[in-house]
Amino acid sequence: MRADEMRYSLQNLVHRKTRSFLTVLSILIGVMAIYALISFGLGINNYVNTLADEAGASMLFLMSKGAAAPGMDTNFYVTGADLDFVERINGVSQATGMYMGVGEIVSGKEKAYNFIAGLDPDSIDFIDRAMTVKVDKGRNLEDGDMNNVVLGYNYLLDDKIFKRGLRLGERVEINGEPFSIVGFYEEVGNPQDDGNVYLSFDMFESMFPDKADKFGYALIEADKGTDPEGLAKTIEDKLRKRRGEDVGKESFYVQTYADLLETFGTVIDVIVGMLILIALISVVVASVNIMNTMYTAVLERTKEIGIMKAIGARNEDILFIFIFEAGVLGMIGGVLGVLSGYLVSSAAGAIAAAVGYSALQPIFPWYLSAGCILFAFVVGAGSGVLPAMQASRQQPVDALRYE
Amino acid sequence: MAHPIIRLKDVCKTYQMGEVNVMAVCNANLDIYPGEFLVIEGPSGSGKSTMMNMVGCLDIPTEGHIFLNGDDISEMDESDLAQIRGQTIGFIFQNFNLIATLTALENVMLPMTFQDVPHEERIVKAREVLELVGLGDRIGHKPTELSGGQQQRVAIARSLVNDPDVILADEPTGNLDSKTGINVMEFMKKLNREKHKTIIMVTHDQNLAKYADRVVYLKDGAIVKDTKNNHAHSSNPTSRRGESHA
Repeated sequence: MRADEMRYSLQNLVHRKTRSFLTVLSILIGVMAIYALISFGLGINNYVNTLADEAGASMLFLMSKGAAAPGMDTNFYVTGADLDFVERINGVSQATGMYMGVGEIVSGKEKAYNFIAGLDPDSIDFIDRAMTVKVDKGRNLEDGDMNNVVLGYNYLLDDKIFKRGLRLGERVEINGEPFSIVGFYEEVGNPQDDGNVYLSFDMFESMFPDKADKFGYALIEADKGTDPEGLAKTIEDKLRKRRGEDVGKESFYVQTYADLLETFGTVIDVIVGMLILIALISVVVASVNIMNTMYTAVLERTKEIGIMKAIGARNEDILFIFIFEAGVLGMIGGVLGVLSGYLVSSAAGAIAAAVGYSALQPIFPWYLSAGCILFAFVVGAGSGVLPAMQASRQQPVDALRYE
Repeated sequence: MAHPIIRLKDVCKTYQMGEVNVMAVCNANLDIYPGEFLVIEGPSGSGKSTMMNMVGCLDIPTEGHIFLNGDDISEMDESDLAQIRGQTIGFIFQNFNLIATLTALENVMLPMTFQDVPHEERIVKAREVLELVGLGDRIGHKPTELSGGQQQRVAIARSLVNDPDVILADEPTGNLDSKTGINVMEFMKKLNREKHKTIIMVTHDQNLAKYADRVVYLKDGAIVKDTKNNHAHSSNPTSRRGESHA
């Protein structure tokens, strides 16, 4: 073992505290950024996968190809007849349309504007399964619920939508109509969904008569044992023909839930990837910094290198000493970077939860910490290679003469 | 007749100083035998340091050959040479050349590190030699916490720890007061007498010649005189041929 050589390296790092600290700081920042970003990326991916597992592979969405929020493209709608047609396609177990609108919700003297969804009370179980949330307080919408409303999770909370959180049985006005609150959904984890208002089909149609039979989007469930990917294609083909649209110019698309989440996941991955690339620039800068520190150290210790060579150090001994030293600088930066990245991520996760994005939570698997520390060590050691080679190639006589 | 431990054969060393070639040592022939106490003496600029570097296998001659235990060092690769040098030659320098960040013990352990001696053994041996030089109670001190004489004793301990056949000392008393200097010289003499170490010492101090049993004089890069010192008792009385170049 090279215990003495390691100790010599470490003692030099301690001996030059300020310089070591500054060098460590530079790599710390890069590792911290990378660790924080990846912990969030992993957290989001994890959340998306959980959703996919909960919803199951058999869910499909029929929605507008437009760029608007799901269900809000006014040029696109699915009719009840479209849905009847889809339900008759081989492999489709059931289908239900969702109305989407915007409304003014009034509680006391306060007003809020949020999305209003119209649900088919007969399909409530199916909708809950597809959306992976269910009513957690009170009850679901039922047939004949006219002036009863189910609200999103955030209406329960103080200082979220209204100053005071609402309770079951309280009254609110929606677009001028009085309603009694019969239920609250559990938390989804983002402020849009948690601010939704849910009405029955009948109530929605009476409040928005021009939207009657014009569903914003539709949920479809495949029969057990049917390949959802293939089914999505079949539905697309048949519906295109029925609606008389050209191939490639459809106003709609059918996507499996898994695909949808995967697309979302890919977008997140790309964003996180870009951010990591930016963070990598700081690692490159840190690497240059380590190299600079090590070149200075080699120059400073030229005489010591000469002494060590005189008393028997081989080139590889000198090489080891300086690469190890650079690697340790990197590793210390890595360890501190992981610690500070953990703190930053945790704080950011807490802030995200506080503003309603409880789904946006970092996760901290052990392999992320280990990977970051190893990466920092490798970057450090790699940055030390050139300076160490310069050190190891010194001629003992020249090095000894150096003052 | 014993074989020379170090042999310089027609050795020249030239340095490039700008556009001029300076010959620091020219045409030197020198055989150093096991057990000798040899002093290489000469005024400054006579090529002593260059000579010492070559005798110590730290430098390779521009012309000629240096043999260490019969092997031509210019044919060895640098790492092998370092390894052999570490086993065969212990260095003592004028300015001690200890490593400032290491304790006395760690400084003495260092040469064994490069010979891959196991860690436990390194500690035991390093303690032993530090006790031998009278510094058993100073092993945890850094060089800056030691006096000049103590530092030189640490350096001597370091030179001895691999049990080399040859101790090469470059002005070992140059930075010491005269009393401490005498102690160091007595210790070297003892090493020569009792442990049969070959001592090669480079100095400009003519007073130190009395400790030697052979004195080689350098002038302007050439060996001008190679005399056996009759007052000293060589532990290895072999016949030598000093070659003189005037």
